[in-house]
Amino acid sequence: MSCTKFESLIALYVESDLAESERRMVEAHLETCHGCQEFAADVRESQTALKELRMDFVEESALQEVRAGVLNQLRTQRKKAAWPWYAVAAMLLAGLLAGWLWRARTAAPPEVQPRAAVITPPTLAAVPARPQRVRIARVSKHHRHPAPAFQSEPLVVKIVTDDPQVVIYWLVSKNGG
Amino acid sequence: MQGGCVDARDEEFARLVKQAKAGDTAAFEAILGLYERRVLLTALRLLNRNLEDAKDAAQQVFLRLHRSLGQLDENRHFASWLYRITVNVCRDMLRARAQRPTLSLEEAGGGLVAAAEDPVRNEQRRQIYAALATLPERERTAVVLRDLEGFTTSEAARIMGCAEVTVRSQISNARVKIRKFVQRRPRRPL
Repeated sequence: MSCTKFESLIALYVESDLAESERRMVEAHLETCHGCQEFAADVRESQTALKELRMDFVEESALQEVRAGVLNQLRTQRKKAAWPWYAVAAMLLAGLLAGWLWRARTAAPPEVQPRAAVITPPTLAAVPARPQRVRIARVSKHHRHPAPAFQSEPLVVKIVTDDPQVVIYWLVSKNGG
Repeated sequence: MQGGCVDARDEEFARLVKQAKAGDTAAFEAILGLYERRVLLTALRLLNRNLEDAKDAAQQVFLRLHRSLGQLDENRHFASWLYRITVNVCRDMLRARAQRPTLSLEEAGGGLVAAAEDPVRNEQRRQIYAALATLPERERTAVVLRDLEGFTTSEAARIMGCAEVTVRSQISNARVKIRKFVQRRPRRPL
């Protein structure tokens, strides 16, 4: 093996990075080669200088900057990560509110307004030739609805025809109006 | 590895990692405190003492660490894992830096403080840093991990994600080149 090839092994030998067999081979060569002994001494010297860099340290202000930078970024990331949850929560809340409003609207009891259309009392002439069976029932008090048009309590006459779709309410004020 | 090695095998440290994995910010801050110095120092060496880039790299390393803590295998050597992230981030940064003008060694070099104020040693130190800057990226990484961070060749290979024989060759080449560089450079008058 030439000295040039030994150089790469010597560079490892000086830091005990060789396997046992290689170490023995290098040591045998160094015993007889003056040039490689010098080379080994030079590498040891530069290695000593290199390893002195281990003693270097970093300025405290640089460390503080790194730390502050990392923690700030983590805080920002956490805030960003929380946004989708806030959005989901807001959407859920809005959905619940909308549902509640919709339910409240549909569930409200419909105001039963008697079809208080002013019906003129039928005249005899208007009665058909073959009158339908007409039942006249007096509406009980609790079915009555106050109508602001009447100053006194009105009389409500419910006329039920054979057709279940047709119910006639006849409102008559007590004073005959 | 040099310095009081703290890794996942250490019981207390393992607990910290577990807490940080569960989202405990204080535990993550404690890990940050344990490793920030070493990560920044390594980044400075790999990035030719460019302090601004090294600070950016160190931040990215810890953000990546935070993001991927969940993937950390409890039996895995934490320090090797963190160094692997550091090496990858610095490699990406060097590639990005190749697209823009670089600082000279004199312009860079902030942040690292010599332990002793000996002018001869400072000159030697400057020369070694200059020699490191001339090395190809893989060789510099190999020699920084082995000779400055104190990892074994096999650990360095694991961190760099390549075969041990390759790393051995890179370390050998780097040492020979550093020796040549130091011999060739005339010593500046003090």
